[in-house]
Amino acid sequence: MADHSPAPRRLLKAFLLSLPMILLMAMMVTGGQPLPKDLLRLISLAVTYVFIVVMFFLMVYTGRTHRYRSVLFVVYAVCFVMTFIPNLIETRGSMSISRAEMIQGHTPFCHMVIPTTLIPAALSRTIIFPGSMLEGFAPIGFMLVLWLGVSIALGRAWCSWGCFYGGLDEGFSKIGRRPILKNVPRKWTYLPFAVLVAVALLSAATLTPMYCAWLCPFKTVTEFEAVTSATTLVQAGIFVSLFAALVVVLPLLTKRRTQCGLFCPMGAFQSFTNLFNIFDVRIDGTKCVQCGRCEKACPTFSIDRETIENGRTRMTCTKCGRCVDDCPKGAISYHIKGTPIGVRAQTARMIFIYPAFLLLGIMGSRMIAAAVYRVLLLVTTGSLIK
Amino acid sequence: MVFTNGFMLGIANGGTCLATCAPVLVPYLLGEGRTPRANVVSLGGFLGGRLVGYMLFAVLAWLTHSLLFEDLPHQRGVFGAATIVLALVMIVYGFAGGDHTCRGTALCGIRARLLRARPFWVPVGLGLLTGVNVCPPFLLALVSSARLSELGQSLLFFAGFFVGTSVCLAPLPVVGLAGRRERIKTIGRLATGVVGLFYLYSGVVSLIAEWH
Repeated sequence: MADHSPAPRRLLKAFLLSLPMILLMAMMVTGGQPLPKDLLRLISLAVTYVFIVVMFFLMVYTGRTHRYRSVLFVVYAVCFVMTFIPNLIETRGSMSISRAEMIQGHTPFCHMVIPTTLIPAALSRTIIFPGSMLEGFAPIGFMLVLWLGVSIALGRAWCSWGCFYGGLDEGFSKIGRRPILKNVPRKWTYLPFAVLVAVALLSAATLTPMYCAWLCPFKTVTEFEAVTSATTLVQAGIFVSLFAALVVVLPLLTKRRTQCGLFCPMGAFQSFTNLFNIFDVRIDGTKCVQCGRCEKACPTFSIDRETIENGRTRMTCTKCGRCVDDCPKGAISYHIKGTPIGVRAQTARMIFIYPAFLLLGIMGSRMIAAAVYRVLLLVTTGSLIK
Repeated sequence: MVFTNGFMLGIANGGTCLATCAPVLVPYLLGEGRTPRANVVSLGGFLGGRLVGYMLFAVLAWLTHSLLFEDLPHQRGVFGAATIVLALVMIVYGFAGGDHTCRGTALCGIRARLLRARPFWVPVGLGLLTGVNVCPPFLLALVSSARLSELGQSLLFFAGFFVGTSVCLAPLPVVGLAGRRERIKTIGRLATGVVGLFYLYSGVVSLIAEWH
C-alpha cells in the first residue's frame, strides 16, 4: 500500500528503515577488511556498495519489491557469469574441465546438485559429486549450511533472492513488451517435479549426478566436461540446447522464468521448504477483483484461478514480489503465517525483505564487485584476464 | 541349497536392484495412483515380467551352451534394442497423456487403448524389458549360476535370486499411494517420460556401439 505522507518525511522514514542495511552492507561488501589500496578494486567496491544500497533504499521508499530486486538479481547473475568464466580461463586456461581434473576434485560444488545427491548419500553413504569435497569439506559444507539456513528462513525465496542462475532467465524474460506465447498448459508446470523424481532416481541407479552430467543448461555459461568423445559431445549439445530453449528463447516468448518455473529440479525441491517456512504471499479475497493480472504476471507459474480463489499462491512461489507490485487493488501481500491476512502488510514485507535482501546483497556484492573490477581491467588494460 | 544361495545373493544386492528398477517402476506407480492392492498387483506384474526376462536369458545361455554371459552374440545390440523399446513405452506413457494439452492424438490413442484394454500388461511389459537389460546384480547372479551344470539348478538359483531381490522392492506400492492425488499422477507420468528419454539415449548408444 502506498505511503501518502509528505515527501521529506517519507524520505527520512525510508532512510531510517534502510540505515541498518546501509551499515550491514558496508561490512559485507568490504568483508570486514581494510579498504584495498589498489585503485581499481577500491572503485569496484564503491560502485557495488552504492548500487546495492540504492536498490534497497528505493525498495523501501517506493514500496515496490520486485522492480528493484529484479534489477539487482539480473545484474548479480550477469556478474556471476562475467566473473566465473574469466576466473576459469585464468586458472585453467579453458571453460572445459577434463575427466582427470574432475576426479581430482576441481569441480566447484553448486546448490543445484543437492537434490540429486541426497538419495545416493542415504543409500550408499557416498556423495556422488566429483567436487571440491575431496580437498576438504569446507566448500560443500558452506554451500549446504547456507542453503539449509536460507531454506529455513526464507523457503523458496532462495530462487529469487539467492540463486546465481535465476537472474539469467529473468533477464531474458524482461526483454520485449508483450508475451508471444501466452498460455502454457498447466500440465507442464509440474515438469520440474517430474525432472526432480527422474534425476533423483537415475542418480541413485547410476551413482552419477544426473542433472550436472546431462541436463544443466547453465553449464553453457560456467564449465563443462571437455568434449573428447561422442558422449561428451551429446552432453555439450544438450547443455547448449537447453540453455537456448529454457533460458533465452522461451523467456523471450513467454516473459516468464521458464527454466525456473518449468524445468529446474532444484527449484521443485526448494518448493517443499515453503511448507515449513514462516513467510508466504497471500491474496486478500475481500480486496481481490479477479482481474487475473497476478496470474499473467507470475514469473514461475505459481498463481492460477484455483489459487486466487484459495487466497494463496502455489507452493512453487519464489516470493519475488511481482504479484505484490502488480496488483492494482493491493490485495496481494507478503504475510507471516499465523497472522491475519492483509493486516500490517508493510510490516510483514519489511520483516521479509530484510533477510531476503541481505542474502541477495551478500551473495551479489562479491560477484558484482569482481565483475566491475573485470570491466575496469578491460577498460584500462584491454583484457578481462589478468 | 541352490535356491538359498540365490536368495542370499539377491538379499545382499537388493539395494542396488531397487536403485535399478525404481526409475522405471516408481514413476509408473505414481502416475497410476491406484489403491494399495492395485499397486501390489502392478508390482507383481512388474516382478513377473522381470522374472520372465531373467529366465529367458538363463535358458538362452543354456541353449547356446555358453553359460558365461559374455559369449552371447550381439549382446550390446540386444540390450540396446530392448532399452529402446522400454524407452518408447515409457515416453508414450509419460508424455502422451490423455488430457486436453496433448497434441499427439495418435500416441494418446495408443496409450489410452493400452491402459483401458490391458492395464495389467503395462507393468508386466516394463518388468520384462527391465529384465532383459542387465544390471550389476543380475550379472553377478549370472556369473554365480555359471558354475551350475544343470538347467534346473540354474533356474532354481535364479528363482532364489529373484525372490531375494524382490524383497527390497516390496515397499514400492506404498510409494504409489502418493499418486492418488491428481497432481502427483501428472508428475509421475511426466517423470516416466523423462526417464524414458534417458533410456532412449542409452539404447541408441548401445546400438551404435554394436554397429561399430
